[in-house]
Amino acid sequence: MPGRTTKEDTPQDAQMEDAPTSAQVGEAQVEDEIEEDQEEEVEPQRVRILPGSTDTAASFEFIDEGHTLGNALRYVIMKNPDVEFCAYSIPHPSEPKMNIRIQTYDGHAVDALKKGLADLQDVCDVVAEKFWTKREEYNAEHGIAR
Amino acid sequence: MDDYDMMDGAGDQPQVKISGADSTRVEFQLSKTNLSFANSIRRIIQAEVPTIAIDLVEVEVNSSVLADEFIAHRLGLIPLDSSTANELNFTRDCDCEQYCEQCSVTLTLNAKCQSDEIMKVYASDLVVDGRHSSNVGKPVITDPDGLGCLIAKLRRDQELRLTCIAKKGIAKEHSKWMPTSAVGFEYDPHNKLAHTDLWFENDTDPAVEWPKSKYADWEDPPQEGEPFDYDATPNKFYFEVETAGGMQPNQIVMSGIDALIWKLGGLLVGLGVREPEKEAGAGGYDGPRSPDMNMDGGTTPWGQDGYQSAYGGGGQTAYGGGGMTSYGGGYQTAYGGRTDYQGSSWQ
Repeated sequence: MPGRTTKEDTPQDAQMEDAPTSAQVGEAQVEDEIEEDQEEEVEPQRVRILPGSTDTAASFEFIDEGHTLGNALRYVIMKNPDVEFCAYSIPHPSEPKMNIRIQTYDGHAVDALKKGLADLQDVCDVVAEKFWTKREEYNAEHGIAR
Repeated sequence: MDDYDMMDGAGDQPQVKISGADSTRVEFQLSKTNLSFANSIRRIIQAEVPTIAIDLVEVEVNSSVLADEFIAHRLGLIPLDSSTANELNFTRDCDCEQYCEQCSVTLTLNAKCQSDEIMKVYASDLVVDGRHSSNVGKPVITDPDGLGCLIAKLRRDQELRLTCIAKKGIAKEHSKWMPTSAVGFEYDPHNKLAHTDLWFENDTDPAVEWPKSKYADWEDPPQEGEPFDYDATPNKFYFEVETAGGMQPNQIVMSGIDALIWKLGGLLVGLGVREPEKEAGAGGYDGPRSPDMNMDGGTTPWGQDGYQSAYGGGGQTAYGGGGMTSYGGGYQTAYGGRTDYQGSSWQ
């Protein structure tokens, strides 16, 4: 968001005092339309790259995530043969932050992260599907109707 | 799906074996996976499966011996039917001002003792509003007398008149939203990996102090004088999921995995995994600098001028309808849509 207004920041601010209210309303409407297009409220940014990162070695900070995601994601990212190193930590227990460090042999750390997220989804899919079929089988075997 | 051994060939896929189940619990064994993943499943089942619980209580009359907040707390802990919790929105996501029928269930309690005998007020005395066609938010009553849990006791002329607003939530916020009463999680019953110390007093017998679990028969006991295998990793995990009453135990497991997939999907959307047709529109957006834009830039260090976003330039565009597809994908086909197990097959 902040990036968008950089160009006209100063002139716009100067005009604001004199500008008729109608002009502002028009602007607000455009904003509204954009919001509607998105259908969903814009979520606050939950991932960022920590300073000092390069393409092949980056640290990511996740807001509102913990060991649930961190450890499983670390495991899945480590499975990627392009990844040299992956680790996670929760720097302080009273801050809702989780950091993941990814270093790759080849390719971008961001891609490794994205791939890790997608792969973990696939693992979840498999487990959900297996659980579902096994439970159906169990119910059939034991005559549980549900 | 992969260029490496994530799960190609059924032999390498995680396996599930159900060893016992009834209406209140399910026991299963998860194998060919890793401690990290199994623990994530446990954590998400315990803390992030959405359920319904009383969250707001408006007390009109309370002449009982219990304080208002004491009763409010007790009401919050009453298990409510959450098998169709997906019908409700989270109040924070709902369009309404405070709460509405789309994000809450209203329960009323009206009790007055008019005899000399002590009157007991039970969860079954809560009256659910008729605005929902399903059982969502109904107090769970499993005892043979059909009373439910005890809320308060009233003496002659004491009265309790209140309105409760039940909302959807997760146990991370408050434990009253826990779908489970307990989740058993165990691996390596013989402690071959020495992850547990199994401490004992000098003059006691460790075998008596630490009786073997029932899963000990399922795995080979250690041989006499067997050297420690430092390469070994746990790969069989024994779960026992017991419901608090509001949901079927297997539904809890499925919703837990579902919650994890959604969590991942949300992050993928945030990272700007977008649909190709959205790509064009995304380019015009002068948003926070994206790592994607750095793709051909060699090893330029990021963030010289402070923090930068891991979100793609089109992170916002990806929300527009197309956001849904990145959650879906293989997942929807895997077991036929999100709502499938909420529907007829469960009831």
